[in-house]
Amino acid sequence: MSVQDDLETVNWDVSEDAHITVDNEQCITCEDKPCLHLCPAQCFDYQEDQEGGIYFAYEPCVECGACMVFCANDPDKGAVSWSKAEGGKGVEFDFG
Amino acid sequence: MTDAAFDVVVVGAGRAGVAAAYKLADEEFDVALVERAKQPGMKNVTGGVLYGSILDDLLPGFPEEAPLERHVVEHNIKLLHGDAEVSIGYRDLELREEPNYTLMLGKFDRWFVDRAVEHGVTFVSETSVQDVTQEDDRAIVHTDRLDGDIVCDAVIGADGVNTTVGRRTGIQRTMRNEDMALSVKKVVDVGRNEIDRRFNLDSDEGAAYIYTGFPEGAPTIGYFIYTFDEYISVGAVGGLETLRWLGDEGYGDSGTPLYGLLEEFMELDTVRPYVQGDAVEEYQGILVPEHSYDTLPDRQDRRVALVGDAAGLVLNKGYTFRGLDYGIKSGLVAAEAAIECEADGNWDAFGRRYDDRLENSYVLQDMKQHRHLPKFLKNERMYDAYPGIATETLRAMYSAETDATGLTWRQAYRAFRRSDAGLLDLVKDGYRGFRSL
Repeated sequence: MSVQDDLETVNWDVSEDAHITVDNEQCITCEDKPCLHLCPAQCFDYQEDQEGGIYFAYEPCVECGACMVFCANDPDKGAVSWSKAEGGKGVEFDFG
Repeated sequence: MTDAAFDVVVVGAGRAGVAAAYKLADEEFDVALVERAKQPGMKNVTGGVLYGSILDDLLPGFPEEAPLERHVVEHNIKLLHGDAEVSIGYRDLELREEPNYTLMLGKFDRWFVDRAVEHGVTFVSETSVQDVTQEDDRAIVHTDRLDGDIVCDAVIGADGVNTTVGRRTGIQRTMRNEDMALSVKKVVDVGRNEIDRRFNLDSDEGAAYIYTGFPEGAPTIGYFIYTFDEYISVGAVGGLETLRWLGDEGYGDSGTPLYGLLEEFMELDTVRPYVQGDAVEEYQGILVPEHSYDTLPDRQDRRVALVGDAAGLVLNKGYTFRGLDYGIKSGLVAAEAAIECEADGNWDAFGRRYDDRLENSYVLQDMKQHRHLPKFLKNERMYDAYPGIATETLRAMYSAETDATGLTWRQAYRAFRRSDAGLLDLVKDGYRGFRSL
């Protein structure tokens, strides 16, 4: 089982607007890139051709808020701009 | 008087928010309950047991009506160390007298909102709150709906750990890694009969399991298993600061993510028999506040009060998590403060009155009493040396293969001498543990 398999069990009503965006310029100076292992939905992927090496996809976000804390709120990082998904959109859990 | 559309707007339909709205509707308040999901519960995640006596007054006889999973009559703490596991199990039929249940929020929160609506609460779904502002004689909740500003006397921010209300009003300070734990959880289809057999339970009985000590020496990392009616949930939790450290130093170039640890945990020989299942039905991730009483963020400003996770009201006691009942209690306390303000018209005192009442409630008394516990649980020896000492002592007692000789207390002492812990550490940690618990 990989987390990608686990994410297959989750439903989303994906919004056309990204609720989280990444300013890749800030990723250039970020050495440890905690997003790559702290995001539980693997929304952050390391891709060499991307600026700062980070490719971000908001679609599979499970809306935990971790990237707000470890990136957006960290004065040395701050690549992430974070908000909640618009009303009625985003992740939809069945069980909770 | 104001031109308020509602007396109180509650932001977020988790248990804290619904409890507040329900109680206020009971008192004939005009209450709006604003929720960003399509249906109640869709955005909500828990990894805890509902200590349900908190609902007795609001919902008398709720265990008969509410969609609950299993009545928790057994708690287990398990210390992992290498191939070994040392466990403390507590099963007590007297726990049957207490309404403590596992629950799935998808079902429970929907039921709870339905009851609140029956009591007169106006439920507004699919609406995301963008901001809350305060004027001289009113508060305004700004939503992402067209013409979506809602005017009211007071706002209860029950919008969870990443509270928009708390952040936009500036009530809550900026959260950092050391304030938060991350949790990931899987709901696994096991089947009712198989759960009964596997966990040694009778039909509606439930059990809770808390694990620690894996990977060896990683502080704050723990795991849990809860039994539902036909499913189990199995999850991992760890402080963001620790998880960053594990990534930086311990486990390869890109670190070991928490879902990776959960995978490894589920494959441990001592764990696999419990968690094997037909299929993973759902995967979830959530932040869990990790404050101690002394580091709790602010939770009120004039006409705005934060309750539940939005106020950081969660306590990891090491042997159980409290949060569901703290949230409900804080919601009820906010409702009481609103009732007081309605009586004398002094809505500007709403936040302060809420805070005073909460300070005197069992929630903050509990967190105050356990104020040293969060630091105690960050002690690496709790995750390495002490499970090791326990394991070696028991191995010497039960294994016929060890060459150990001597009395049990002597074995324990030798195991302790072989560990990295010093005598002073043991005395200090023992004292701290005693003082914290």
